[in-house]
Amino acid sequence: MSFHTLIVEPFATLAFMRTALVACLALALMNGAVGTLLVLRRMSLDGEVLGHAVMPGAAVGFLYAGPSPFWLSLGGLASGLAVAALGGLITHRGARRDAGLIAFYLAALSLGVVLVAWRGSNVDVMRVLFGTVLAIDRRALLQIATASSVIMLVIAALYRPLAVGAFDPAFLRAVGMRVPYGAAFSALVVLALVASFQAFGTLLAVGPMLLPAAAARCWGLGAAGSIALATGFGIAASVAGLLLSYHVNLPSGPAIVLAAGLLFGISLAVANALPRLAPMIWRDA
Amino acid sequence: MQADGRVALHNVTVRYGRRVALEAVSGEFSAGSLTAVVGANGAGKSTLLAAIAGAVRLAGGTVNCAAHRRLAYLPQLASIDRDYPLTVAELIALGGWRQFGAFRSPGAALRARAVVAAETVGLAGRLRQPIAGISVGELQRALFARLALQDAAVILLDEPFAAIDAQTVPVLLDQVTRWNREGRTVIAVMHDLDLVQARFPATLVLARRCLAWGPTEVALPAIAM
Repeated sequence: MSFHTLIVEPFATLAFMRTALVACLALALMNGAVGTLLVLRRMSLDGEVLGHAVMPGAAVGFLYAGPSPFWLSLGGLASGLAVAALGGLITHRGARRDAGLIAFYLAALSLGVVLVAWRGSNVDVMRVLFGTVLAIDRRALLQIATASSVIMLVIAALYRPLAVGAFDPAFLRAVGMRVPYGAAFSALVVLALVASFQAFGTLLAVGPMLLPAAAARCWGLGAAGSIALATGFGIAASVAGLLLSYHVNLPSGPAIVLAAGLLFGISLAVANALPRLAPMIWRDA
Repeated sequence: MQADGRVALHNVTVRYGRRVALEAVSGEFSAGSLTAVVGANGAGKSTLLAAIAGAVRLAGGTVNCAAHRRLAYLPQLASIDRDYPLTVAELIALGGWRQFGAFRSPGAALRARAVVAAETVGLAGRLRQPIAGISVGELQRALFARLALQDAAVILLDEPFAAIDAQTVPVLLDQVTRWNREGRTVIAVMHDLDLVQARFPATLVLARRCLAWGPTEVALPAIAM
């Protein structure tokens, strides 16, 4: 099998593969930045929870308009933002945060499944849970690209306070930055998850966001370098996952997340195997 | 040098839920003074600094600090994420935040000042190290260098020498004395009473309320009572 049939042909001959690829690349660009900041802020669990918080709203959108990307997204955005706000309240009240977040996550997921199953078929349930990368149409692609662009522009503008706030929020407040950057970032995470929803579903949307970022963090780079590497990993996982699903006939969303998981595993193993070498190579630059 | 380094407290009261952390503390840190805040655990020492810094809401009373825009606050070490990928030089340069702000990067002049500040606290050889790779003492030195760059009129230090190695303490103490000579107001929560006696001209003894406040030789004995 030549390079051409292995890598180029699937995208050259099939329009839905091309659309899926472009959508995944747009998502990878935004996920590199969002995911890295999420990992740096130690909010991975929050990301997971917000991913499921999108579900009940998307389900209501589904009940209202069927599987329309626009209504799914609008509903998902509404419930995601509502849970992000509630999650903020939980922290401020000082309750057991992790238990509270998990409670939200389970309740939101179950509510979403119940709502979709009430009017829809098992296929519909599978769609909202795992997404349909290969069924993305032009309109959905436009939505994804728009969300991705907006998120990247906002992160570019707020990058410095977001990065500093991740490791020393008290300092940021002390120098007079009293804007609630944490809340703004949570809103960005919800928007990113909603954009990923159609491609990866509520269960997997966090995967392409967290896994490449977690893999990139293994390499001891600075914040900006980690974002670049995470984006690169995300793109590689997207291409590899789509090709894997094409050649071996696997479900494509899970194949992409699996590829990203593999990158994380490799990064973790290599970084552990070279505990002295890695800092010398990367950190002294 | 700074005429606005005065911090006046009037009946400052802070509550966490029902618990009263600080009750009706009144008094004044004069401009350019160097004061140690001492007291038992839970006496409200950290709360007092947080109240002056505006980091907690007052349940009553007022904090009057003309220099609130030129106030630097160093909380206890625990609040910093040491795994964050940042070099010592970058951490120190953050002290110039008010000059470069959220949307620009620190300029060459600021970077040069960061190098000088690092040399002052003995970190010249550590500038390119990630903060994950330095010791607790070195991190505290870096945070002091960051404070130096902030050019603050009022400097608040919360247990700056807790868990710090013996070589680092004198370096940091010298920095505190230097700030004081430059006319800055320095308020530090302290545990080591010998250090307080040796290096701090003024002392505030707290036990939720103010037990004694004045020259160290007069105020400090109140803590034994």
